[in-house]
Amino acid sequence: MSLTRKTQQWGTFARMWHIYDATWQDPYKSAVLISHYLRGIYKPIYHPTNDCGDHVVIINSNEIALRGDEWIRRVYFHHTTYPQGASWTKAWELHKKDPTMIIQKAVYSVLGNNLTRRTTMQRLHVYYDNNIPEKIKENLSNQIKQLRPVPIRLDHISQEQLENFPQIINLPAHYVLH
Amino acid sequence: MSYSQLSLKSGFPRATLANGIGRYIGQLQRVTLKFCKNHGASRGIRDFIEYDLINYAKENPGVVVYVKPRRHRGPVIKAEYLNGQTHWICCRKFSREDIIKYMELVRTQSFDGSTLRLRKFWHTEFPSIQGPWTPFTFRDPKLNITEFPNAELGKCIKTEPTATEEIIELFKKQQIEEKSIAQLEE
Repeated sequence: MSLTRKTQQWGTFARMWHIYDATWQDPYKSAVLISHYLRGIYKPIYHPTNDCGDHVVIINSNEIALRGDEWIRRVYFHHTTYPQGASWTKAWELHKKDPTMIIQKAVYSVLGNNLTRRTTMQRLHVYYDNNIPEKIKENLSNQIKQLRPVPIRLDHISQEQLENFPQIINLPAHYVLH
Repeated sequence: MSYSQLSLKSGFPRATLANGIGRYIGQLQRVTLKFCKNHGASRGIRDFIEYDLINYAKENPGVVVYVKPRRHRGPVIKAEYLNGQTHWICCRKFSREDIIKYMELVRTQSFDGSTLRLRKFWHTEFPSIQGPWTPFTFRDPKLNITEFPNAELGKCIKTEPTATEEIIELFKKQQIEEKSIAQLEE
């Protein structure tokens, strides 16, 4: 194989590094999106036996948003294989212990039970805040778009903007706002 | 071709050592016809030997033809190729026409073609004229100088305005209407 053909091959199978900001994103819906990048399904050269998956760096996993009351309803099960070794951890407890765990488990379950699962998981890098090691940051070449718009918190809106916002109801003068 | 037989050796269609470009070397070295003189299953191969074998041997001087009668055993064509591989074909109850076809097949191929799963039905040195795809084709060149993470790039694509934005829009409309009414009254 000539050198041009070789470099062409390297180019085609080059691994991309994507970054995904998990702020206010549903980890379970994001996991489906991220798994597409991890396995390289978006590529025209994709084939199940083809090793063309990309790296995905997830930042701000501490800021994920679960739907409804899932923080208290969703339970993570673990068994030590010893008698009475079963344990059920609520989502908020797990998140408190390790803020990267929920999204990691979500991606792991989406990848499907096959031999490539753990290798693919090694290409996922999760950080609980936006501090990424310089070694990883220099590889980044693409950003995955978020699934949901990030809402703005009331205390982050300026006072001027608040005062100019149209009043929907004319509240009586003696009405007490909590 | 199906992938059900994964134990099959796989490969691409290719001509042995560019055979036929310039000169042609017959790849079949030796063919042995084994048959029974009495059994009905060898009828076709006996017919072939009787009517066609002499012509076959004359037309292909590069091929050694062996004929091996064996009592009460199945008819077989065994071909040996230049690369050392052998091809064994069971010819039980084959007609004379079938035998002619198989003898033509072993003459023209350089190995047992049915033992190779073709990964592609075509072969080309230049699979793509515009160049094969890479992750960097069709990419906005602006991304090359962008620093990641980039808040603007990561934002989700909004398809419709939010309720807040709609209220502000309604409020602005209302204000314009009130202004125009006030101007008319003057």
